[in-house]
Amino acid sequence: MLPFNNGFASPLWHNGPIPGGLYNFPGHNGPASQPKKDYGVQRASQPITTGTSVVGLKFDGGVVIAADNLVSYGSMARFQDVQRVFNINNKTVVGAGGDFADFQCIKRYIDQKIIDDMCYADEYEMKPKSLYNWLTRILYTKRSKFEPLWVDIVVGGVEDGVPFLGHVDLRGRSYQDDVIATGFGKHLALPLLRERTETGKPIGRDEAIALVKKCMEVLFYRDCRASPNFTISVCTKEKAEILGPFKVSQNWELAKSVEGY
Amino acid sequence: MISAENFPEYNVPGVVKHDFHPYESNGGSVVAIAGDDYAVIAADTRLSSGYSIHTRKQNKLFKLSGTTVLGSTGCWCDTLALTSLISARMKMYHYLHQKVMPTNAISQMLSIIMYHKRFFPYYVSNILAGLDADGKGVVYSYDPIGHCELASYRAGGSAGALLQPVLDNQIGLKNQENVAKDPIPKEKAISVIVDTFISAAERDIYTGDGVIINVITKDGIETRNVSLRKD
Amino acid sequence: MSSIGTGYDLSASQFSPDGKVFQVNYAAKAVEKSGTVVGIRGKDCVVLAVEKIITSPLYEENAASRIYTVDKNIGLVLSGLLADGIKLLSIAREEATNYRMQFDRTIPLKILNERLSAYIHAYTLYSAVRPFGAAVILASWDEVNGAQLYKIEPSGSSFGYFGCASGKAKQQAKTELEKLDLKNMSTEEVVKNAGRIIYQVHDELKDKEFKLELSMVGKEVDGLHRIEPSIWYEMAIEAGNAAKKEDDSDNEV
Repeated sequence: MLPFNNGFASPLWHNGPIPGGLYNFPGHNGPASQPKKDYGVQRASQPITTGTSVVGLKFDGGVVIAADNLVSYGSMARFQDVQRVFNINNKTVVGAGGDFADFQCIKRYIDQKIIDDMCYADEYEMKPKSLYNWLTRILYTKRSKFEPLWVDIVVGGVEDGVPFLGHVDLRGRSYQDDVIATGFGKHLALPLLRERTETGKPIGRDEAIALVKKCMEVLFYRDCRASPNFTISVCTKEKAEILGPFKVSQNWELAKSVEGY
Repeated sequence: MISAENFPEYNVPGVVKHDFHPYESNGGSVVAIAGDDYAVIAADTRLSSGYSIHTRKQNKLFKLSGTTVLGSTGCWCDTLALTSLISARMKMYHYLHQKVMPTNAISQMLSIIMYHKRFFPYYVSNILAGLDADGKGVVYSYDPIGHCELASYRAGGSAGALLQPVLDNQIGLKNQENVAKDPIPKEKAISVIVDTFISAAERDIYTGDGVIINVITKDGIETRNVSLRKD
Repeated sequence: MSSIGTGYDLSASQFSPDGKVFQVNYAAKAVEKSGTVVGIRGKDCVVLAVEKIITSPLYEENAASRIYTVDKNIGLVLSGLLADGIKLLSIAREEATNYRMQFDRTIPLKILNERLSAYIHAYTLYSAVRPFGAAVILASWDEVNGAQLYKIEPSGSSFGYFGCASGKAKQQAKTELEKLDLKNMSTEEVVKNAGRIIYQVHDELKDKEFKLELSMVGKEVDGLHRIEPSIWYEMAIEAGNAAKKEDDSDNEV
């Protein structure tokens, strides 16, 4: 392109994404910031089939993410054997809460990214921070169009030898921390996890798994949308692995001493 | 036949009804003070919504250049979108002009970027602190749609209304009699800021956990951390 | 050249009186000029091998590769004009992506072959376009369908093979392949034969330098398409060098 052909400076950022424009899913036609021509529409934006809490914890040399295996339909325990933690590759793992269809939709794109990485055959793989930031932009774009993807996603992994743990929600609001919990886990699991991390003492892999298992037990007892079956994903520098399914060993002896109802 | 078509006033084109709320208040406060040869800006580190605290160590200060720092709180997803856009625009300016954008230019750009979303605003409270071309400290404060005002001290965010009168009194020396209006020394400014945050943490549930302070001088940006109450 | 166009070779949209589309034949000629490529389908693997002719020492080792990955377990090798082939590669990847988006599984090679063949064929029908000067070999392996191997010509016609070859020494390579019992061949044997054939068909007098490119997909590599997996690659080169040495000593006698 000739820079001074007509007295106007050529666009600075010619073929790149529009700075400040919204970042769309790949393959979408046209820039996202273009306003829609049609008048207002009304659509139901509420989650339908949902997963409850996801719990995540950093430990010395890795991260662990856990979620139960239930996808609910309102108050019905509809799908009782659905894994909600996934290994994206051997350095990135995710856990999904909120609308499961929305998450599956996002995951299709993530899976394709992984295959694209394989096709390039350059030994480069997507790292957790990249996935985390990508999710942030996708979810923020959708919320800005009033078409939110109703999800709560915990991203974990190990990047350049350093553990990573982050949370993105349906608005694209994101943060990183040593402990993360979504949904009901925010109220029930976070205090348990923070109690341990705030001692400042390093946490080993086995202790982290035990701690997260304890959280899943507490959540099962008190969260009406939780199931006793859960899965754990552990990611260290060496590999990412899925553990489980585990089952909360239930003890309802206490119920016998409850009286007066 | 009774339907919406018979009552055009009930079926206005362009009316959008949504049960989804794109905004969320994630709390946080920012305080900045400008001196003769320095600027200090501080923000707490609590990120919350409602009664739950997402994280206790969220930095809300964004270094835009060697002499300019932006403090941004409010709807955190908007803060993230806005600040990443600003840093992209900072780079573009750098490549085009072969120099770092000066503080006054950043203040103008920030205003324009925010006003571009006048009818779907970034729901954020911004305070920009830095040094001007003469090395003098400056503070700019903004409303969510891009109104910009130059000040010498400002408090913003969830405890902004709580803190501003304290600054008026302690830094602006308002309603004080028989005091010399001497320039505020840097360390005095920092200690006032720390005190305001300690007070804010007592009264505002969205402010607490810790404060990150950036002290901007001609020698660079120094970062300090202070703990606040965590309840 | 067996025939020249005599005016009927200017467009892909016109037949000659004896029923040829000359532009397509010329495209096939472009393929015949390129380095030899072979695809060999064994009992539970497919191996792709290329005689990559190095025209100048100034190129980087991995410059102008001819073997690519289309999807997890699908490999693609190109012969002919590289730039034309790369376009076909991107079309193949797009097809694989679209299929996965719709059906949440890897595209069956049969379908990919049909789609890509149709695309290549479309470029033999119109006056405004030029046919692709590239032939494509597709390879895959999975638990259900086992090993699969297809070759698509510039004309858009395609067939499934046990062994196929394209490029300069296509005939010679095919002769070698026909001697083998491919249906029952172990992965190791397939790899060794692939290396051997490429080294054997290489004509040192015409083209001095070449690099063996090799990829495989099959049971032994976790069902993934792997380009130059170290142990197997070395095995192929070893077999190639051994064959070359034998040939050389035969000549001396």
